[in-house]
Amino acid sequence: MDEQSQFSSGGGPEAAATAADEKTPAESRAMIFGVAGWLLPGLGHALQLMWGRALIVFLAVGLLAGAGTSMKGNVFTRDGNDAFDKLGFIADLGTGSFYLLARALEKDGADVSHADGDYGTRLLATAGVLNLLAALHAYEAARGRKA
Amino acid sequence: MTALPSLELTHFQTFLLFAVVISIAFGFLGRRRPKDRVKYIVWSLLLFLLVGIGIGWAMFPFSR
Repeated sequence: MDEQSQFSSGGGPEAAATAADEKTPAESRAMIFGVAGWLLPGLGHALQLMWGRALIVFLAVGLLAGAGTSMKGNVFTRDGNDAFDKLGFIADLGTGSFYLLARALEKDGADVSHADGDYGTRLLATAGVLNLLAALHAYEAARGRKA
Repeated sequence: MTALPSLELTHFQTFLLFAVVISIAFGFLGRRRPKDRVKYIVWSLLLFLLVGIGIGWAMFPFSR
C-alpha cells in the first residue's frame, strides 16, 4: 500500500502502525498453531477447538506412519546419499513427533528388499506430507481463512 | 521400546489404505458441514480408485 492510498483510506501513518501492531500477535498466534500442528499431528486444530479435524488428522497421520513403520519402510535420516534421500527425509520429518517414534520403533532398521518395505516408505512419506498440509491448514484457519 | 508387529499388505491393500485415509482427511479438512464432508469423501475415494486402477490397466501392456 503506497502512502497516498493509506491516507485516502481514512487512516494515516499512525493508524497503519496501530493496525500492524494488532496484526502481529494474531500472526504469531497462527504461527504457533501451525508449528504445534506440525510437532504433534492435530494439535494445531485442537488448540483452535476444532476437535473433529484434530482427531482425524491425528488418526490419519498416526495410521499411515504406523503402517509404514510396521511394513519396515525406510525412515530417512539427514545423512542421505542423494537428493531423493534428502527429499524423503523432509517428507518423513513432516510427521513431527511421529518421526522420532518411527525411528525408535524401527529397531532392526528398514527392509526394502521386499515390496512391503517399499510401500511402507511411501506411506511414511505420505503421512509427513499430509501432516504438513494439515499444519498449513491450522495456520490458515488461525489467520481467519475459512475452510 | 517394543517393536511394532510386522504388517504385510499387498499393493492393492496398501493403495486402498492410502485412498481411504487420505479421502477422509481431505474431506474433514476441506469441508465444514457433515453432509458435504461425506459427499467429498465418497467422491474422492471413488476417483482415487478409478484413477489408480485405470493407471494400472494402462500400464498392463508394458508389464511383460
